[in-house]
Amino acid sequence: MTTSLIRRLIQAGFVIFAMTLIVFLGVNVIGNPVDILINPDLNQAERLKVIESLGLDRPIWQQYLSFLHGLTQGDFGDSFVYSRPALDVILERLPATLELALCAMLIAIVIGLPLGLYAGLHPNRLSSRVIMTGSILGFSLPTFWVGLMFILLFAVQLGWLPSNGRGETAELFGARWSFLTTDGLLHLFLPALNLALFKTSLILRLTRAGVQEVVSQEYVKFARAKGLRENRIILVHILKNLMIPVVTIIGLEFGSLIAFSVVTESIFGWPGMGKLIIDSINLLDRPVIVAYLMMMVVLFVSLNFIIDLCYTLLDPRVRLDGKG
Amino acid sequence: MINFMTRRSFHASILALMAATATPAFAQEAKLSIGMAAPITSLDPHEDSNSPNNATSRHIWDSLIDRGGMAENKPQLASEWEVIDDTHWRFKLREGVTFHDGSAFDAEDVVASLIRARDKDSQAFAAYTRNIANVTAEDEHTVVVETTVPDPLILNSLSRIRIISSEFADAPVAEFENGPAAVGTGPFKLVSYNPGDRVELERNDDYFAGPADWSHVTLRFVPDEGGRLASFLAGDLDLIENLPAEGVQQVENNSKLKITRGQSTRLVYLGMDVSRDESPFVTAKDGSPLDSNPFKDERVRKALLMAMDREAIVDRIMQQNGTVAHQYVAEGFFGHSDDVEEVGYDPEAAKALLAEAGYPDGFAVTIHGPSGRYVNDSEVVQAAGQMLTRIGIDTKVEVMPWSVYSGKYSEGAYSVFLGAWGVNTGEVSNPALAIVAGRDAERGTGRYNGGGIDVPEINELLDKATVTLDEDAREPLLQQISALTFNDVWLLPMHYENVVMGAKQNIEFTPRGDKYTLAYEVHGTTE
Repeated sequence: MTTSLIRRLIQAGFVIFAMTLIVFLGVNVIGNPVDILINPDLNQAERLKVIESLGLDRPIWQQYLSFLHGLTQGDFGDSFVYSRPALDVILERLPATLELALCAMLIAIVIGLPLGLYAGLHPNRLSSRVIMTGSILGFSLPTFWVGLMFILLFAVQLGWLPSNGRGETAELFGARWSFLTTDGLLHLFLPALNLALFKTSLILRLTRAGVQEVVSQEYVKFARAKGLRENRIILVHILKNLMIPVVTIIGLEFGSLIAFSVVTESIFGWPGMGKLIIDSINLLDRPVIVAYLMMMVVLFVSLNFIIDLCYTLLDPRVRLDGKG
Repeated sequence: MINFMTRRSFHASILALMAATATPAFAQEAKLSIGMAAPITSLDPHEDSNSPNNATSRHIWDSLIDRGGMAENKPQLASEWEVIDDTHWRFKLREGVTFHDGSAFDAEDVVASLIRARDKDSQAFAAYTRNIANVTAEDEHTVVVETTVPDPLILNSLSRIRIISSEFADAPVAEFENGPAAVGTGPFKLVSYNPGDRVELERNDDYFAGPADWSHVTLRFVPDEGGRLASFLAGDLDLIENLPAEGVQQVENNSKLKITRGQSTRLVYLGMDVSRDESPFVTAKDGSPLDSNPFKDERVRKALLMAMDREAIVDRIMQQNGTVAHQYVAEGFFGHSDDVEEVGYDPEAAKALLAEAGYPDGFAVTIHGPSGRYVNDSEVVQAAGQMLTRIGIDTKVEVMPWSVYSGKYSEGAYSVFLGAWGVNTGEVSNPALAIVAGRDAERGTGRYNGGGIDVPEINELLDKATVTLDEDAREPLLQQISALTFNDVWLLPMHYENVVMGAKQNIEFTPRGDKYTLAYEVHGTTE
């Protein structure tokens, strides 16, 4: 198990190195930040001064090497737009995105799993059909539209919840979090719900499909024949066996929640990373784009790793060395 | 007695009282939330120069010169100034002003700030600082600014540069962002800055021009139009920038809210290729090339202007969010000329003029324009196209994203094109130098002169105006430039974009020409 872990880590290292090359060269192909970043009022000498201070006067391989050199010291370079270390710019927005993604995932699991279980166990009940039809809506309604409807209904018409922003924050581990204050929680609720809608439907449908598959298996019938209580059958024999695909999806979707929640963040004015990356692409803020993409690569590589670990816990037959 | 006064007259009387006794006013608790349309990129007032940054920094810092809503120069940290000679200006500094941390403001701070802004790597303020040769402190409350060339716009330039405490002249951007260096003399103190989200401010009770109406101000960055409108309708924001057109009806129907409109200095115009003999997008109606470029003929240009029903464009397409323009700047701004003939909508006369110029059957042309850069830009171009077709000029319309369009139109790739210029100095030489002056890369004139306009008379007037310090001698020069440009129809002026803001009923704010939303100028009235 240890050797396979090490092998995995080395593989991950290669993936990350390859990504530095792809990402760095990639962002250098799209457009010239000089045209966008430099004030049109500047004259030639002033332009050259700025280009030099951004390090854009050097050939690309030199830029890449100094980028790699910086990486070894944990330095992604300074953002062109914010004039501060790119990593700092991203990390100070990470808590906002993280808590939003976690809350959304939590809502999705808490709602999606039980409902999916119910719909799978009692497929012919009217309530199950209602749940399944509802999940189609969750799938197909565009996030931005639902978000705006939430705001119109809960903030503008009813006035129950704030429409926008992070609200009051409190400090924990050196970062500012909204979920620690009541006001922050109120602000968090709508965007998290909005973001959770799609994921809830996904988990719900996946769970239902899994339940229907497992319910007809021999061992469930046997457990029933043995006279086990229904609760035990559901919680131990059914739930545990359908968790593998569900955990995979939860893991990957959590990654995408962090990486791609830009629509929800824009509508609810949530100052997270998604908004930052879109702005950075528009302004060709290369250091931020590169740092962000690198972070995402690391995130997905580690998530996959964690998912694999979870498999071994859920299913003793799965071995990390692949000999299982 | 206080009970019988409105808050505003109360405020005025407090000011009078202060002047008499010089004791600070006692604090009134009042909170204000402003929804800004774009986020700031930095709290360092010299790092980046764009509207949101400069508007935000004006809350915390002052400049030597205060720019009014009509771009007029007023004393701020400099209480008076004089011209010593063509390249030297002496500024008397206001005495008794302190920074938020209690330290006194003096000439050293001015020297440090101006030099810092000039020498920053980002060169964000280069357009304003490039003429500053040196800044010296004569005594604690006098500075002399030496310019490399006679610079009549130096007051405007100085109004752009915030004065920080000399103690933080070497502070990196991060120290401004976290707070320790964000110490100014302005009407508000920084409480916190949350990038991409908000800036929290509290009142500086010792502000030299009198404390603001608001004890706490929150500048929220809500670039998403729907989100900003919703927050405003929900009552979370008291005042929002750029009220989206789809919200106008809702706000009008809501008795607690109102719309505040003001005129910006952004002139939207149509440029024409007046330099080439054969213009790339002009042909005869059958597609064959024309003998000459029709836009070189003043009568054709005037016919085009007569064909434009600008009232209708402002009314329908801009939904009242614009004002018909006739020259660079509206009345009241420096260089506005009363001699500019205002051309009205007259399609019949336009046809007659075209016939007189030798195009009785018209010709064919393609208008190019950006999409999503200016308010309803692509719709404006389409309407202009239809109006030209009405006088017999077959017009096609092509719009493209700004990133594609911006480089091409300024280099003169098109025959007729939509352009706009935000007159950020509030006077005529700024737009004229950029969009009408003859192209000269070395001197940097005519950078956005996409039509290749090159009128010796205008160029000479501009050369003179850019080195004339005396305002009384400068104004007639600029007025002549306005008259020459628009009476000979070198550009087709369309409209000035309006500033459209949403406000709660009890909020009074007069939108500024530069579109800055400044909490100090926002006043509350009793409901």
